[in-house]
Amino acid sequence: MKRYPRYRIPIGYMLLFAFFIVASGIWLFLLPQGLSETGSLTATLQQLGQKPVLKSWQQFVEIATPHLFAMGALIFIVAHFLLFSTRVPRYFSMRLTLWLYIAALADIFAYALIIAGIVTSGWIKLAALAIFALLFLILLGAVAISLSQ
Amino acid sequence: MKFLVSKDITPTPLLRQLMIAVTAALLLYLLLDVVLHGYLIGFSPQAAAQTLYGNEEAFVEPILFESLLLQVHIDLFMALVSLLILVAIYLRMTQKEKVRTGVLHSLFLAALGAPLLLVAAYFGGSFWLYGWVGAFFVWHLLALFVGTVALKRLFAL
Repeated sequence: MKRYPRYRIPIGYMLLFAFFIVASGIWLFLLPQGLSETGSLTATLQQLGQKPVLKSWQQFVEIATPHLFAMGALIFIVAHFLLFSTRVPRYFSMRLTLWLYIAALADIFAYALIIAGIVTSGWIKLAALAIFALLFLILLGAVAISLSQ
Repeated sequence: MKFLVSKDITPTPLLRQLMIAVTAALLLYLLLDVVLHGYLIGFSPQAAAQTLYGNEEAFVEPILFESLLLQVHIDLFMALVSLLILVAIYLRMTQKEKVRTGVLHSLFLAALGAPLLLVAAYFGGSFWLYGWVGAFFVWHLLALFVGTVALKRLFAL
């Protein structure tokens, strides 16, 4: 990205914004799962894995709809800066963004499987969330590496 | 259909018109966002304290932390998208030597700090609300400045 030095400021701050958006989203998801009552992250994760909080289809749609737009847009906004990167290989960017979109969809729709009764455990939601968060952090790192050149 | 990419927007009046329209829309968004937060949280530290901590004498319940965090989550996303568009147009319309990097750093830091200070105020007390009010107005005023400069240069083309 050395050809675009002026754009380093907004891109750098975008990485910080994106990190805090994901962090506040995870916090927001864990609060009704027991974090607001127990205050313990370990206990909340165990409770989520064994007995996730029951949600209605209306609650699912109210959460899924804005997230399909916002997560899709946020991944696109952050990942498109890899187009200008000379440090991150193109095949890596392509695979990373593809898996990131798959993980985002899995994360959004994992709770639908619980509501429909297809799975009773919340571990699938937890795994999808963890994979999405990890891949998103890798994406932020890849853009940060591209910025530092 | 033929796609043409040019660094010079003078011969592309449609792009210039689109940039003027989106900048104007974002300036209106910023003004209404200030009004919205005045209704939701309050403009003064005292009004914001009443929203966050409640007021027994006035029978005002404190805000649920979940509601506050949801507002912070949305604010971060909206600030990011609006600022990226606004600053990209500003940088596009500004000569290299005229870019005010100090303004851009202050703008992004205040925009990032405002929602985080609101969460800090919820846990840390009303002292942090002064920081929230300051950061909130600083980033809105700077964003309005950046947008106005961009709009002025777009009209001058």
